[in-house]
Amino acid sequence: MTILGGVCLWLAFLVGIWGALAGFVGGLQGRPDLQHSARHAVFAMCGALLVAVFSLEWALFQHDFNVEYVAAYTSRNLPIFYTWSALYAGQKGSLLFWATVLSLFGSLALLLTARRHRELLPYVAGVVCTVATFFISVMLFGQANPFHRLAYTPLDGNGLNPQLQNPGMVFHPPMLYLGYISITIPFAFAMAALISKRLDVDWLVAIRKWTLLSWLFLSIGICLGMWWAYVELGWGGYWAWDPVENASLLPWLTMTAFLHSVMIQEKRGMLKKWNLALIIGSWLLSIFGTFITRSGVISSVHSFTQSSVGYFFLFFLIAAAVASFAVYASRLPLLTAEARLESMVSREASFLFNNLLFVGIAFSVLWGTLFPILSELVQGTKVTVGPPFFNQVNIPLGLALLGLTGIGPLIAWRRASLPNLRRQFAVPVTAGVFTVLVLLVGGMRDLYAVMAIGLGGFVTATVVQEFGRGAGARHRQYGEAYPLALGRLLARNRRRYGGYIVHVGIVILFIAFAGMAFKTETEATLRPGEAATLRSPYGWTYRFTHLGVSQYDALNRQVTAAALEIERNGKRLGVLTTEKRQHVDGLGRPTFQPSTEVGIRSDLREDLYVVLAGLVNGTEQAVFRFTINPLVWWVWYGGMIVALGGLIVMWPGGGSPAVKRTQAGYAVRLVEDVKA
Amino acid sequence: MTRGHDGTFPVSRREFLALGALGLLGVSGNVPSWRRVPPQAQDSLPGTGPSGKLWDPSRAGRPFEPVRAADNDAAIQAIEKQIHCTCGCNLDVYTCRTTDFTCGTSPAMHRRVVALAEQGKTAQEILAAFVKQNGVSILMAPPKRGFNLAGYFVPSLVILIAGAILTLVLRRWSRAARPPTPSRVSSLSSAVAASPEELERLRRELDQLSS
Amino acid sequence: MLELVAGVLFATGVVWFVLRPIFRPALTGGAIGDAGDVDDGEDPEDDLSPRAVALRALKEIEFDRATGKLSDTDYDELKGKYTAAAVAALRTEMGNAGSGMRDAAASQTHPVSRIPQPACPMHGPRPEPAAVFCSECGRRLGAAPGYCARCGTVLEREAKYCHSCGARVAA
Repeated sequence: MTILGGVCLWLAFLVGIWGALAGFVGGLQGRPDLQHSARHAVFAMCGALLVAVFSLEWALFQHDFNVEYVAAYTSRNLPIFYTWSALYAGQKGSLLFWATVLSLFGSLALLLTARRHRELLPYVAGVVCTVATFFISVMLFGQANPFHRLAYTPLDGNGLNPQLQNPGMVFHPPMLYLGYISITIPFAFAMAALISKRLDVDWLVAIRKWTLLSWLFLSIGICLGMWWAYVELGWGGYWAWDPVENASLLPWLTMTAFLHSVMIQEKRGMLKKWNLALIIGSWLLSIFGTFITRSGVISSVHSFTQSSVGYFFLFFLIAAAVASFAVYASRLPLLTAEARLESMVSREASFLFNNLLFVGIAFSVLWGTLFPILSELVQGTKVTVGPPFFNQVNIPLGLALLGLTGIGPLIAWRRASLPNLRRQFAVPVTAGVFTVLVLLVGGMRDLYAVMAIGLGGFVTATVVQEFGRGAGARHRQYGEAYPLALGRLLARNRRRYGGYIVHVGIVILFIAFAGMAFKTETEATLRPGEAATLRSPYGWTYRFTHLGVSQYDALNRQVTAAALEIERNGKRLGVLTTEKRQHVDGLGRPTFQPSTEVGIRSDLREDLYVVLAGLVNGTEQAVFRFTINPLVWWVWYGGMIVALGGLIVMWPGGGSPAVKRTQAGYAVRLVEDVKA
Repeated sequence: MTRGHDGTFPVSRREFLALGALGLLGVSGNVPSWRRVPPQAQDSLPGTGPSGKLWDPSRAGRPFEPVRAADNDAAIQAIEKQIHCTCGCNLDVYTCRTTDFTCGTSPAMHRRVVALAEQGKTAQEILAAFVKQNGVSILMAPPKRGFNLAGYFVPSLVILIAGAILTLVLRRWSRAARPPTPSRVSSLSSAVAASPEELERLRRELDQLSS
Repeated sequence: MLELVAGVLFATGVVWFVLRPIFRPALTGGAIGDAGDVDDGEDPEDDLSPRAVALRALKEIEFDRATGKLSDTDYDELKGKYTAAAVAALRTEMGNAGSGMRDAAASQTHPVSRIPQPACPMHGPRPEPAAVFCSECGRRLGAAPGYCARCGTVLEREAKYCHSCGARVAA
């Protein structure tokens, strides 16, 4: 099937070039035939790429090891789900996956966009075709063709990297890719609006929805990535400020900033230039992330093998940045604000500072990621910029942002006055101060942790107060019972109250991050029957008794498993196993270095995290690392709540007109007030 | 993920899907690895007593040394967390040696740290010794001097300056947007000099909005 | 071999699909996006015309006062301001409508909205055959020549798009 796949790649490439030309020329000259052709080109490219994906999957499932990609990433004994996910496990396959998903998103955008945006669509088709064609051209001309065949046929393939053989790895990359890729759609709309000079407010609606979708995918992808790193990599953490992790965080930060500042544009017609710049910047940062992942310019644990592909991306990144900002600059005079800020103390102003912090954090992360290169250029010495640097710079900024999460919602749009502010802030500030006092009395002395949890209390109280007062207002105005009022409040103002739910998720994440300050760990060598003890931050004593080591064969690996009995304060909790896995191919030949499978016991308060480091002199005497990670579970919960809030915000549609009319009690009074 | 001890097919399809779904929800942690088994015999392999020989030691990676006191020494760990492992892993020495057990570089660097510490050197001297041999890039974070200061302070500085500019601009905007009209409230009725029909229409329009 | 044939056939099909609009423009209708496109204008938040923005602002001011965020002084001031803005927006639309009617009567070259039946932007097609305003909400119906089919704003001469809401106008 690789011939068909190769034909489809070339077909998609040529169709993509045609689509880009037809889209831009058709749009500029107003030729409907070309515009239609561009639209069809996106659909056709999507079809051709889907056939290409199908043929690669076919080769993977047929174990056609004559195909280099199949031999490099699968083996006969690889479980089928990992065989499927091998599609995006390697550089070449993930490029194909990327281009395919982009053309799919592009087709959806063309199909689902409302009629009134149709003036923009030829340019959208053009931008999508351009970007997808670039990815295809990397495959075709950057020695990254996934259908490349070897001169011989190996008996069995290399198999998938053991670290990728984890359910988290089946879902994490596609989610992250979906996030990265879907940014292209808002970018395409932004470019379309700029090129066509249709810079009224309407394009904003299309962009906002796609950005939200992209933001949601990226959030889920980042959380899944943290989860995967935690359960699979075995260092007991989930975020290490690795350049590739940073690359996924950067567009997330700028998109979050956009999702806030876009409200100002919708309500006040301000910040048009800024919002467009944020969208273009987010897209460029996503391409920058791809460049980092694939070039090997910056050392990272995630990198694909170094290849010339990096130069393609660097060139594309620079060309795209120059082109998009040139168009942007030429349209600046058309992007004037329609209103002015009414007060320094207003939601608008707080959103501007929120944007400052989001973009500031993005800048500092980018700065830290690129600083090794900068240092080499300027002072000629290589430096390493690791977690200590990022923590030092970003923790204070993150905490400031968390504070704003609580402050912003308390300030009214447009303007606020002191007595009202006092009334709004009383309860949340009290809650925050109270939390801090409780922590201090409880003996917590870690400054950042106390601040994070204290601010968490403040923000939570803010959100609760917002829901409470909102429901109260509805109760008074419409006489709705409180539960109904609460439900309607959320259902009728999904964007506002869904956003608050996201805030709750963020608070939980920050508190969980703070828990990592109290991580404790120890290493021990144990013979069967011997035990190690470790004190948890909650004051409990855990006792780990080594029961013994067993060795057995599994489908595609040889397992050496150590079992430990765990007691907490003398009470038996159960048995935990941790493994060494030597992966083998279908002929029983070892494929990768032995990998470690972590034993994890989670509960709401802390995780026990046990790693089998190795065995002494081929006996059952084993070296273990025991770690207690407080509150890790809450990272996953926080991530889920963020995703849930995002879904609520995205949920489409308004109520029926009849229902709306019955809810308009105060609106009527409002106008009569004025009349009187 | 799965700790199936059946030895034949470690991940059944249903189990995998269930795990995947759980993983997607982020609730994996305690599901697969935690089984309540009744207290029973220590070892399932026949013929191996306490500290028995492994059937095939080569499957378990390189042989390990027993842990020494220095391995758990917090002071040494603190030093190692500031040293970049040179194996290409992009981690610090401590994290690498306790995570990547196939790495030969980080244990060697660990031994060097321990040896230097046993010579009575302070943390600063140990770090200096590493810098002397490997250059500044051996440190996880660049030392705070010279151009590196830019690395630390440019982001904060940029944010502070941008914040100051933003404050000034906002103040100017809000001042410009608020003409000095003290009797604003009294001018309300004149500002809204709308005919009853218009207000009626406005009322209807407001009805249309969902609340 | 079979695969190559399949590939060539597929490629031919794709090329035909892409180039068809150029050689047979009649088959695909006038402008891009006519076939099968959905209209997502039902979400009231998506309406960003000055009128809708001012109305939403009024609602929000009311709600912010109800939840205690806005002081009464600020509330009165903002309410006056945004009521005035809303009335002004309404008046512009109505005023435009009035003058537009005269324009339409004077000249036959004025653009004609593409929706054939008289239809209200909020309440859909009206039963009354010659209706100019919606019998439910009083909005100008879209079918009238010279008015935007979506928001009812009067259109400029030779306009291809509504200058208020951006909706496309039939040639």
